[in-house]
Amino acid sequence: MIKHHPSESALRSFVEGALPSTKAILISAHCDMCPTCLSKTRSFTESIAVDMFPDLRQNPTILREYISMFESITNDSTLLNPSYSQTLDTRITLDGREFVLPATLARFADRIGEWSHLAGKLWHASVNIGGGSLAQFIYMDRGASVPEHTHKGNELTLVINGKFTDGGKCYESGDFIELNQQHTHMPTAENYEGCLVVTMLDMPLHFTSGWAMLINPLSQLYFKVNTNN
Amino acid sequence: MLIGIPANQQRNETRQPKDCSVEMSGYLDTIAKQRCKASFAKIFSYFAPRLRSYALKQMGNEAIAMELVQDTMSNVWQKAHLFNAEKGSPSTWIFTIARNIRFDMLRKLQNRKEDVCSDDLWPVLCEQTADTKIAPLDEQITLEQVGQYFNELPAKQQRVIEAIYIDGKSQQEVADELEIPLGTVKSRTRLALQRLKDMLREYD
Repeated sequence: MIKHHPSESALRSFVEGALPSTKAILISAHCDMCPTCLSKTRSFTESIAVDMFPDLRQNPTILREYISMFESITNDSTLLNPSYSQTLDTRITLDGREFVLPATLARFADRIGEWSHLAGKLWHASVNIGGGSLAQFIYMDRGASVPEHTHKGNELTLVINGKFTDGGKCYESGDFIELNQQHTHMPTAENYEGCLVVTMLDMPLHFTSGWAMLINPLSQLYFKVNTNN
Repeated sequence: MLIGIPANQQRNETRQPKDCSVEMSGYLDTIAKQRCKASFAKIFSYFAPRLRSYALKQMGNEAIAMELVQDTMSNVWQKAHLFNAEKGSPSTWIFTIARNIRFDMLRKLQNRKEDVCSDDLWPVLCEQTADTKIAPLDEQITLEQVGQYFNELPAKQQRVIEAIYIDGKSQQEVADELEIPLGTVKSRTRLALQRLKDMLREYD
């Protein structure tokens, strides 16, 4: 059961289209998995629509300044872009297991890079969502743990499948986790099958530098081990 | 000053929003089925000025606001068949279209070369039915097809794929049997599957 959700205000901003796209993608993917938040976004959408169009009494006629617009729309014989194709491969195979991606992430399935071994039982693959922003899939094999770390921007994580614990909390499929720079954490996958998450830092610049450090085999600062522990 | 296309109904008595919503849904339906300009005129005369106020507030520029109005109303005209009254009111549908267009316009205005578009986040203009029913790629492919490509894989990858997908062994078992590290089994599996997928796409 999903216990961790985006805040109401985040959902509202998402509906308004006011969020940065990285966060919007993760919230959209969460809504693919979470009926509660999906229904909240629907009711937010309705209430915004009611505010915007409060009184559906008709205007008797089209205002003068809109006549030419009306004509050009109705006389335009060219069609707009065809509907977005939804024939997408929504699964990825990892370690012989199939993972079904939420529809929002499935749209980016063809942009998932090669999986590579990170450290211990951790695997990762980046997803290019454009604009210099990278999302990362992280697969924690059974018993894996990410060494304690902290980061600059906010870290957003969505659990796609599986279970992991972090700071005494347990996160499961569909959970949405938002951490800021004050959090130092050490996620651990306990589940027998391992755990697949997608994670994003909402500040692309910081993320890029984190990424650069990550791919440098000599300085895995992003996942720097806290040797004091 | 009001001129132009007269609406048939000029009654101004107060009506329940619900009734109006049903009426608007009816217009969208006629637009979808008959390309009815009179119905579109009713929707247009109500929504266009209100969309303009919204757009002006959001974008702060008259020309851009009118572009948003025009794009939104074009979508309503051309995609009325995608409106589903069971999923929400006409107002909600039209707000959603405007929101999506605004999102995409902002993206372009800010010149952010992001690939994320409103369709990725709020696929309101898509047929939202049955899309999950489409069999994924790997289920549409017959075994013979795969077999044909399988032979083109390097021998090492063939052995791993055969052991896992035909003999049903775990990756660890395969690693023990072939006396190679588990990571190698994993990467061979991954590469082989990727290769098969590529070949299937290429020859399709």
